[in-house]
Amino acid sequence: MKYFAGVDVGSTQAKCIIVDEQRTISARALVETGANVARAADRCFAAALEAGGIARESIACAVGTGYGRFKVSFGDLQITEITCHAKGASLLFPQTRTVIDMGGQDAKAISVRDGEVVDFVMNDKCAAGTGRFLSTAAETLGLGLEEIGEISLRARNPVRLSTVCTVFVESDIMAYVAQGKKIEDILGGIHSAIAARTIALVRRVGLEPQFTFTGGVSLNVGMVKMMEEKLGQPLNVSADSHYMGAIGAALFASEHALVPAGN
Amino acid sequence: MTELQYQGHLHQLQKQLMANYYAALTASAEGSGEPAAYLLIGGNPVELLRAFDILPVFPEVNALQLAVKKQSLPHIQAAEFMGYSSDNCAYVKADIGQYFAGRKTPFATIPEPSLLLCNYVGCNVYLDWFGHLSEYSGCPAFQLDIPFIRSKSGFPSKDDVDYVMRQLQRLIERCEEITGRQLDEDRLRECVRLSSLTGELWSKIKHLTKHTPAPYDAYFDSVTMMAPLYCLRGTPEGLVFFETAYAEMAERVAANRGPLETERFRYVIEGPPPWPHLRTFRDMFSRWNAVAVASTYSTVGGLWEFGFRHDPDHPLESIACHLLEWNLTNRNFLQRYEQIERYLDEWHASALIIHSVKSCRLFSAGQGDMREYFTKLGVPTLLIESDLEDPRYFSEAQMRTRIDAFFESLGHRALVQEASA
Ligand code: SF4
Repeated sequence: MKYFAGVDVGSTQAKCIIVDEQRTISARALVETGANVARAADRCFAAALEAGGIARESIACAVGTGYGRFKVSFGDLQITEITCHAKGASLLFPQTRTVIDMGGQDAKAISVRDGEVVDFVMNDKCAAGTGRFLSTAAETLGLGLEEIGEISLRARNPVRLSTVCTVFVESDIMAYVAQGKKIEDILGGIHSAIAARTIALVRRVGLEPQFTFTGGVSLNVGMVKMMEEKLGQPLNVSADSHYMGAIGAALFASEHALVPAGN
Repeated sequence: MTELQYQGHLHQLQKQLMANYYAALTASAEGSGEPAAYLLIGGNPVELLRAFDILPVFPEVNALQLAVKKQSLPHIQAAEFMGYSSDNCAYVKADIGQYFAGRKTPFATIPEPSLLLCNYVGCNVYLDWFGHLSEYSGCPAFQLDIPFIRSKSGFPSKDDVDYVMRQLQRLIERCEEITGRQLDEDRLRECVRLSSLTGELWSKIKHLTKHTPAPYDAYFDSVTMMAPLYCLRGTPEGLVFFETAYAEMAERVAANRGPLETERFRYVIEGPPPWPHLRTFRDMFSRWNAVAVASTYSTVGGLWEFGFRHDPDHPLESIACHLLEWNLTNRNFLQRYEQIERYLDEWHASALIIHSVKSCRLFSAGQGDMREYFTKLGVPTLLIESDLEDPRYFSEAQMRTRIDAFFESLGHRALVQEASA
């Protein structure tokens, strides 16, 4: 049996997906990226091999993606996460026309036809409205990143945030805490502000259903709900949504580079 | 892919001529050369200065040279320390910084100005920049007020032309005061004639990139030819340079040689390059075998490829028209669209890259709409952002991801088109 690996080295986490010849996911692994990007790629690849009980020699092709894609030393190809997310989303949700990807450091909107990128936009250098913003907010409130989405769902009177700037959000939150606002209402406000900003980004490629939500933030139920409310549309989300880049990369590996990177 | 190490005769000649030019600047700075006039690139009227043996100095060219040589940041920071805001155009800051650092650069000592000629074509920053230089140097600024092209037709009115010509008359008087001699009309005609021949060659060179493969990159390699176009236009050496350049490029066309081993994508690019990261930026395109076949940036100094020529029989009028009508910065936005559309069409390009520059609010404003406009026309368009002078505004990983993803999808589009053909 031959296998194909996709390794998505993001700014916060590195993810690896291994698929078999039927394009079925055989193994997955996730590690924190940390300071050594090349090591993170190796580590998550090794972890996925181990999880699937797969020998390294049976990997016929590996594709690197994510900002650390050039650091995947064992990769045969590098393809951007934009192309890979589009690919992965179309495997899991074939009707996808728009991918909304919210990762640790950036947010992207990708317009897709038949698994291929038609257009895309990304947030600029600043981390406003990304996963980093949410983790800063969670830290400020002394909560874990995984709990804030759930709590935000209980908001009755969400506060109005004056900023989506990651630097200023801390003092904004502290001010609301000092005013005695409820935690859920503060979190409701935070989720609402980020959702609005993300949808503004999506609007630039066109709001075309179906929408597939990918990246680490897609695990946040509060964010999913908030985005759905504002879009007036359901979002496709899967338990593997944050592996979407790696899934796409693994599919490319199995096709052995339909779209070669570089040359 | 390997980028062919293109170091033809043209490059050597450029180096040598620009070294001579910089030596002339240094001589002027040391008091043994010609008087210097600072002016701006947009529609630059160098012919008038050359007719008086006044040396043209372009603060923009000096600033970009500093950036290419990775020397701009300390000057930018010095200017910020003086109080220039982080939002100010970094060309200005680098220039002011180097002015106070004794005007000594790795390529020349920049002379003090005898004339501060602010040819105001579109950019309002020019006014303040030269106003400040005037304050620091004590040299009065001479304002050439060029009315913006406001009509849909894209032509200046007769009044516009008269208005500029009257100002050129006063500029002549100022040059006469500075040099202590009268304008030699034959000399002016000669400079304009040389410019006219130079413009003809430059236009022909630009039309050569219609050929597949393009003989040179109309963005990254045009840069080599732009410095002589501004600094040496209207001189015999300038003309020789363009004769050499044309011959060399025509030869490359005949031999089907391009700047890359293969030409896979042909694109048009809008906006100036990120000078502090030029090499890295170029590689982001080369690795995709993507070649720029036309660039709007190379028309800031003048738009010759669409027909403009200086006219030795009407020297002042043609200088006025150059300033008014025939340079990118003084044109309206619809004309900019039209220019890009012509490039896409006549130069057979399949994509548009817009490099938006933080420093330059005036010319970056509206590029979001430009992107929409071309996307609606069905032209794959990528908008990327950094800066032309400040090395701090360049995020390599993000830039690379955007460019890679863009060419990945373009590559796919080409495959689909091939399959359906
Ligand atoms: S603002 Fe733009 S046009 Fe004006 S001086 Fe700066 S870079 Fe040049």
